[in-house]
Amino acid sequence: MQKILAIIWKELYITYTDRNLLVIMLATPLALALIISLAFSDLLSGSSDIPISNIPVAIVNRDQGVEMNGAAFNNGQTFINVLVPPANADEQTLADNALYQLTDAVVLSSVTEARAGVNNGTYAAAIIIPADFSERITYSQEHPTVEPASVEVYANPGASVSASIIHSIASSISNQIATGNIAIAATINALIERAQSDPAFGVQFGLISAAGGFQPDFAPAFSGETGAVAIERQTVEGRQVSFNPLVTFGSGQAVFFMLFTAMASANSLLEERRNWTLQRLIASPTPRYMVLLSKFVATFVTCVVQVLLLLVALTIIGSLLSGEFQIIWGTNILAILATVLVTALASAGLGVFVTSVVKTPEQGNVVGSLTAMAMGMIGGVFFSTQGIPVLGTLSRLTIIYWGVDAFGKLSVNRSDIEPNLIFLLLFGLVFFMAGWFIFNRRLNV
Amino acid sequence: MHQNMVEVRDLSKTFKRSNGEMLDAVKNVSFDIRQGEIFSLLGPNGAGKTTTISMISGLLTPTHGDATIGGHSITRQPLEAKKLLGVVPQEIALYPTLSARQNLEFFGKMYGLSGAALSKRADEVLEFIDLKDRQHDKIESFSGGMKRRVNIGVGLLHQPRLIYMDEPTVGIDPQSRRRILDTVKQMQTEMGMTVLYTSHLMEEVQEISDRVGIIDHGELIAVGTVGDLIQKVGEEDRLILKVGSQVVSELLLTRFRHEVEGVTGATHEQAHSNGSDGSATQPDGLIIVIARRGRRALPDLIRVANDSGLDIVSVEVREPDLEAVFLHLTGRELRD
Repeated sequence: MQKILAIIWKELYITYTDRNLLVIMLATPLALALIISLAFSDLLSGSSDIPISNIPVAIVNRDQGVEMNGAAFNNGQTFINVLVPPANADEQTLADNALYQLTDAVVLSSVTEARAGVNNGTYAAAIIIPADFSERITYSQEHPTVEPASVEVYANPGASVSASIIHSIASSISNQIATGNIAIAATINALIERAQSDPAFGVQFGLISAAGGFQPDFAPAFSGETGAVAIERQTVEGRQVSFNPLVTFGSGQAVFFMLFTAMASANSLLEERRNWTLQRLIASPTPRYMVLLSKFVATFVTCVVQVLLLLVALTIIGSLLSGEFQIIWGTNILAILATVLVTALASAGLGVFVTSVVKTPEQGNVVGSLTAMAMGMIGGVFFSTQGIPVLGTLSRLTIIYWGVDAFGKLSVNRSDIEPNLIFLLLFGLVFFMAGWFIFNRRLNV
Repeated sequence: MHQNMVEVRDLSKTFKRSNGEMLDAVKNVSFDIRQGEIFSLLGPNGAGKTTTISMISGLLTPTHGDATIGGHSITRQPLEAKKLLGVVPQEIALYPTLSARQNLEFFGKMYGLSGAALSKRADEVLEFIDLKDRQHDKIESFSGGMKRRVNIGVGLLHQPRLIYMDEPTVGIDPQSRRRILDTVKQMQTEMGMTVLYTSHLMEEVQEISDRVGIIDHGELIAVGTVGDLIQKVGEEDRLILKVGSQVVSELLLTRFRHEVEGVTGATHEQAHSNGSDGSATQPDGLIIVIARRGRRALPDLIRVANDSGLDIVSVEVREPDLEAVFLHLTGRELRD
């Protein structure tokens, strides 16, 4: 045990006296988080419940609609209903609806006009609903399948955050519509089937329908009120607070830079092999597994310390900018700690694996950086990949997605982070074991 | 107590090359190192010295064979064997951002030292390598010679019974080299250590070694004291006569063999050397004469050469040494 502690101490000492590494580990992510925070300083000031507001968005509904059971449905209209306030809406209605505050949606009839508006910056994004939208997603006895439908979100790259929000909203509304359609179809089908199999019920249902007694209201299925778009969160005290980008961007930066740290720390194994200090360790009466395990633990500890420091620093920054103390990461300290630990474990495991498959420290630097960058891109550090075909799915294979998702959930006091913890734990263990096996085999030639 | 500190038996190592071919780096090497002696492995670069030592020190697993250190098998009792071994690699195997003392104490812990005992040993070693006043300075601020001394100090810290030193004088100035060679002798005489030394520098090996093993192409081709090995080639000197571009007749060589006492052989070699401006090559003929008591034969050699109208540009007398042994055993020079 003394040897393990000695190796870990040596690793940490070297790491924390290396100014270059400290810059990568702490200063860079802090600076980036600070810049992002300042960009969102209005949001953090607490002056508004929804600091990001009035995102200009154009809606072009080309949907031709469908007829189902004798009634006409135009699902594209739902986007307009959800995002554009009724002309006669009073102030209270406008104030109570978060989406009305978040967006400033206008309905346009021309796709060209909408695109031009986005191009010249009038709109942050345009939601363009295709002509066959309803036809594709409507579920009925005559058309018992839901086909993929594309709602185009034409975004202004200069307003990536706003565009990302609009993209998320459009995605949520689309899902809500699809779900609602299936629910309606299933309900009606069930009623018809029962009426067919139970003549007494059929007669009774027919009489009630004829008398106007069956007037189902499916509107809530398409309404934003059912939670299609969640942009609010509650504090423990139940006070509504604003969407906090520090959590999303801060945790993204923290996990992203932790990957670099893990890569650099694990890469020191290769540097030690080149400098022969690794051989000197192995030539000592220290079991080989102890040397590798200590390296892994040191990498893990370095990652944990880095993330904890960043979380604390981001909390302080957030509090300073908002003018009041804010625990932006939520109040479930144990869960936060567990998330930090498994995220660090996953990063350290990946670092050891990358180290095991490259030959030189230079290769390790390149492959490690590329791996971290790829994970950052796919995982959504630079732009949201959710809802983007392939990338959105691939993101779920990254440490960043699961780590940031867990921090996001915890920040709104959700506790359903078990899948995140399990994925990160397994990810870390599998990659560490694979890395251990490969590296040990290469040492023992 | 075990008579031999190290016993190596049929040690072999085969590597698989990137093209799939197998390379026999070490082939059935066997030798013993006695308690308290300095044993050197001599051979050109790539001969298999480091691979052999890497197997003995537990860095590489032998493909075949075994070795013991103090009676402990390196394959079956590696940790026991390693406790008796101190390692001084050719590379400066130190952490550059740690101080000399921190390096010593860290590696000391790897050998089970701790607390006051570790601190005391670190003091003693720093004293021995004469770096006590620089003990808190980072290694990266040291000169090459100082780094070498700390490199050696780490190997000595746990007072091993056997210390392995791999080319410890590579890349340092003559003064530091002298100091290190003295240190090696001190380790033997004052500390009673057994030293396993590898070098491609024949002069070093000849100076400090009690016994020498000559290794070439992965095979141990000779083992013995320097005297024993030299006897293998006989006690004949080699006289190198430079004759520049002059023509050397076979008749002259025959006259050397028959008219000069002690001469047993004479050959002519045509070499080329760079011109004084370094830009062109010039013929550089050599007559190599093998003779007993070569210095005594020299005046007669010069006289016979002059009689034949040959001007001798320069003369070099090489007494029998390990270089000659290696040449005799392998047909090529050690430095090739």
